[in-house]
Amino acid sequence: MPIKKRGTGLTAVADAWQLADIDVTASYPIRPYTAVMAEVAKRIANGQMKCEMVHGEGEHAQFSIAHGASMAGARATTGSSGVGVTYAFETYSPIAGGRCPIQALIGDRTLDPPGDFGSEHTDCLTLRDNGWIYGWAENAQEALDNSLLCFRIGEDPEIMLPQIVAMDGYFVTHISQDYVMPDQAQVDKFLPPFKPEFRLDVNKPVIMGPQIEPEMGPPLEWDRNVVMERVKELIPKATAEFNKIFGAKYAPFVDEYMTDDADMVFLLQGAHAVTCRSAIKYLREAGYKVGMCRLRWIRPFPDAALQQILPKFKVVGVIDTNTSYGAAGGGGVLLVETRASVSEVANKPIIQGFTSGLGGETITHEEFFKMADMMKQTLDAGKIIQSSTWVNFNDYDKAAIEVKAAWEQAAPSTK
Amino acid sequence: MPKAYKQVPFAAIVKSPTVNNQGMVTGNWRYLRPVVDKGLCTECKMCWISCPDATVNYSKDDGISFNLEFCKGCGVCSNVCPVGAINRVPELDFED
Repeated sequence: MPIKKRGTGLTAVADAWQLADIDVTASYPIRPYTAVMAEVAKRIANGQMKCEMVHGEGEHAQFSIAHGASMAGARATTGSSGVGVTYAFETYSPIAGGRCPIQALIGDRTLDPPGDFGSEHTDCLTLRDNGWIYGWAENAQEALDNSLLCFRIGEDPEIMLPQIVAMDGYFVTHISQDYVMPDQAQVDKFLPPFKPEFRLDVNKPVIMGPQIEPEMGPPLEWDRNVVMERVKELIPKATAEFNKIFGAKYAPFVDEYMTDDADMVFLLQGAHAVTCRSAIKYLREAGYKVGMCRLRWIRPFPDAALQQILPKFKVVGVIDTNTSYGAAGGGGVLLVETRASVSEVANKPIIQGFTSGLGGETITHEEFFKMADMMKQTLDAGKIIQSSTWVNFNDYDKAAIEVKAAWEQAAPSTK
Repeated sequence: MPKAYKQVPFAAIVKSPTVNNQGMVTGNWRYLRPVVDKGLCTECKMCWISCPDATVNYSKDDGISFNLEFCKGCGVCSNVCPVGAINRVPELDFED
């Protein structure tokens, strides 16, 4: 029987790991990731989970331990946050290139600008070029579900790629919320045991990750490129199967909210979607025909889905909860990727960027209202007014313009 | 002309070699040669298991010996030896 529970995104993922019967988990504490290792350690001590827990002396070691365990044929997990994620940077490409489908939980955290520990997507987004499968969960339930879905996709014999279950630090990892822990029988039906074709075995010795000649590099990288395309094909199938077995209603790539008659949409990922939905209810009452598109995956990037969905709208406001200083268009990673996805589509909408929710700040209703106001101005102008806007810094909504005019009146010489 | 790339196995995973790879002889990188003192050696095989390049050989009759065609002279064997039976001798001291 599925169990109704109250917990956080991290206890939810611990539930997923328990249900998936992981063999090895490699740990090193950093907030907010720490809570999942504490939870798993507790469950091992209580006899709820049978799993070997290995502590690294840092995140680089931690990810290497999970890599080694996976090579030996174990279903292995690990995870980190913020600067821990970047400390392990060297290990991500070899793990994906070695086709070791480990799973990492990343409760995101700022990259110390300096000393901040709030949620921000930048840490995990720096990994986007390494060949891991990942996307942001919106809440604890989706964190649990994404974990199971990721194991299923990543361990598919045709795929064999590592995955990240990413979620907003604090908002998902530490706010207590209701979720349902599925039944073991459901999970067993959905997720077959991990049986890799190759593993380190003294009876059938192999070399994994040997030194290769330069002309062997491109074919291996081509293979990694092709397999990512295969992931794009598998995600809808696996999601449909998941929905059927667990009675869920996930869209494969893009979760749409009130988009049927919308002129403008917010495009974002992660937990801020929760506030966004409730802001949209107020905005609708105020006459804004606005909706929301939430990305379920960042790698592979859902470009084909966006090419289908986005031409329905006139203005798209991409909300980046990350920084990519000097990026094309001046916004963050999502703005660049979204624009690139639909750049060749004939009836593409106007796409503008917003940077908001940095450093662990909540994107408030008021900020969503401001963004909607700016999108409305873009809609009325029929062209881009400002390529990207840092909310609360260089807004051009009605209130901001009035404040600016008041300043100029009070101190006309100020530049 | 399209370029024909070499066939590379899945994730470059290959069977463990059973013969020496003559295409990559690494013994000439070495400037300190490991020499085992058979009088001190207890045949615990710590060096055998620790060698990163599997160049330490062991047999019941001859005890520990080194595959000098591939030993890079890194010195791990000498460091892990619990009885100090492996000395590192400059290559120039040898005739060969």
